[in-house]
Amino acid sequence: MHLILVGLSHKTAPIEIRERLTFPAHKQAEALALLTSGDVIAEAVIISTCNRTEIYAVASGADEGVDAVVDFMAEYHSLDRHELVRSLYFHHSEGVVRHLFRVVASLDSMVIGEAQILGQVKEAYDHALNNSATSKVFNKLFRQSFEVGKRVRTETEIGENAVSISYAAIELAKKVFDTLEGRTILVLGAGKMSELTAKHLVSQGVKSVLVANRTFERAKELAERFSGEAIRYDDLYERMHDADIVISSTAATHYVITKEHVAQSMRGRGGRPLFLIDIAVPRDIEPAVNDLSNVFLYDIDDLSTVVESNLEERMREARRAEVIIEDEFASFAKWRESLEVQPTVAAIRARADVIRLGELEKACKRLGNLSDKDLQTIDALTCAIVNKMLHGPTQRLKTAAEAKDGYEYIETARHLYGLDDSEGRGHGRLRDLLNRRTKDVVETAGNEMGDSLGC
Amino acid sequence: MAQVAVILFWFATVLYVAATVLYFYFFLSKRAAYSWYATFFTGAGFLCHTASVGLRSSAEGGTALNGPNTLILLAWALVFVYFVMEHLVKVKVYGAALVPVSVALMVVSQLLTVKVGAASPLVENWKIGIHVALIVFANAGFFVAGAGAFAYLVQEYQLKRHRTSVLFKRLPSLANIDLLTRRAVAFAFPAYSSGLLLGVFRAIETDPPGWFADPRVMLAGLVWGVFGTYIVLHYTQRASARATAWLALVGVLLVAVLAIVARTVPAGFHVFGL
Repeated sequence: MHLILVGLSHKTAPIEIRERLTFPAHKQAEALALLTSGDVIAEAVIISTCNRTEIYAVASGADEGVDAVVDFMAEYHSLDRHELVRSLYFHHSEGVVRHLFRVVASLDSMVIGEAQILGQVKEAYDHALNNSATSKVFNKLFRQSFEVGKRVRTETEIGENAVSISYAAIELAKKVFDTLEGRTILVLGAGKMSELTAKHLVSQGVKSVLVANRTFERAKELAERFSGEAIRYDDLYERMHDADIVISSTAATHYVITKEHVAQSMRGRGGRPLFLIDIAVPRDIEPAVNDLSNVFLYDIDDLSTVVESNLEERMREARRAEVIIEDEFASFAKWRESLEVQPTVAAIRARADVIRLGELEKACKRLGNLSDKDLQTIDALTCAIVNKMLHGPTQRLKTAAEAKDGYEYIETARHLYGLDDSEGRGHGRLRDLLNRRTKDVVETAGNEMGDSLGC
Repeated sequence: MAQVAVILFWFATVLYVAATVLYFYFFLSKRAAYSWYATFFTGAGFLCHTASVGLRSSAEGGTALNGPNTLILLAWALVFVYFVMEHLVKVKVYGAALVPVSVALMVVSQLLTVKVGAASPLVENWKIGIHVALIVFANAGFFVAGAGAFAYLVQEYQLKRHRTSVLFKRLPSLANIDLLTRRAVAFAFPAYSSGLLLGVFRAIETDPPGWFADPRVMLAGLVWGVFGTYIVLHYTQRASARATAWLALVGVLLVAVLAIVARTVPAGFHVFGL
């Protein structure tokens, strides 16, 4: 059983290549079926977002697995294999787990801490699960990765601070008003940036949107998009009195809103604050407006400073997220080890040895005074019987483990010998003895798993 | 019983100190677990504190209205008011400002000496007991309002100067801080007014000479006036939140001065707190 990952992302491939390698939701079933139809790939999950396409697979062999996935990608998208390989990255075993955990924790995202990736990975896993492309290993790995994503989001502040201009504006507005529900925004100028900011504000529950533009028709058009109200440019200063938030992004070369205008509109507002966002260059709002009581003005540079500071904060939180990833990685590695053939064979042998020694002790008590020579003979005899009994099954287990669904044999062997009932779980002398013995066997045998019990 | 009361008092102090440390960590890290434990420790401290006050009162046949006891009651009321306010505005970060004040009051109460036999016989009246209780509660509310007003001015300064410090990120929004301050004053002011009225009734009953010219009585009138103005300005929306925050700070400063005057100026009839 080998974990492999073949993928490309915004870090390794330009948009021109990324857009040619997508696996949209409606094509995932077909792609997963093709991928797992051969003898090499046992499980597969395809993550396909605008910034990355990654194929996670459980393969019978590392190199064969990578080759199979690359071939599949090239054939499926009719791409030149050599050209494709240049944009790809590859991970094996532990690297796959770490990479996936970093992806769901959004540490590998274009914007660190963005929240979408966890949902996208969940969706990819759901596709694979529904199309029977996952089994024990990926069910465990992906579910644990969701736990990683959840922990990172709840135990760190990685997604707390806004890292885009429009979200920074929302964050600041919330520092004034607490909630934007029921507030009124005035959009001055019908440009793309003000539209985007207004869109984000509306999604936060803003009650009404007023739009003012030199061209009234354009204002009407934008107002309709937010079910708002278009106002005449001449009424701008009068209607500013009703607004809680003003977003300005006109192409004017002079100040459109001056300190005098704002001072006038602040009269009779009943102490309601006014938050102004000036995202125009050159600026639309006179900076002196910020000197007025209860008025808060942020221009594009101020917002950029906020974004930079928040990015630094996210980088600090990312370091905390790495600790969580290592913690979860250790937990997964421990589980995965139980599916490896070597520790399993060692555990079987350890169990047999414990039984042999127990029975030997009982027999010696019954036989009474035996000479050292007799004892050595009986010990060698029992060793030989156990070795011969286990030799065939363990050899066949090692061979079977190399196959596509090899871990199923391992799992069956563990179940038949009751290894998971005694190893790591439960309590008592037998478990301690087994664990100790298994450790001894593994340490003495190293990578070369011999058949002897060391007796 | 008195010994148990003393032990519980120190238990309460230790728990408040633990809560202060946890609130501090919560303020820096913003991890919810810290705030949960901080609230738990504050709650446990509050129970010990309550039991201590109750047991001492039973042991001594009532709560003596001396300086240390007033501070202990003020610390208790402050934690109580904090819990009420926290329940209303759902922001735990205020604990980082208010629980340490309670700790300080508890510690200072142990540093003050009690003048035995200095209490006036005029005190032996139920009206004075309620008067003191109401004033203590009101003062706790004013302290909460003061903390809110201070936080408002700090946060507003940072918003105006476009600062993105840790303090800026940790402090709640201006609207939330203003709400806390307003509610704290709205809670404290009627209690203060009722307390003052009871005191005035008692003074009229016993008619000590020139009672209205007593420095403490005059200062109390000033505190009442400041917070009364705060309420009028806030609810008629005739002043900005910034202006009312300054007013609340002035009011709390006067409350503090009043507490010091009561313990340092020997003149005047109002000597109950000595």
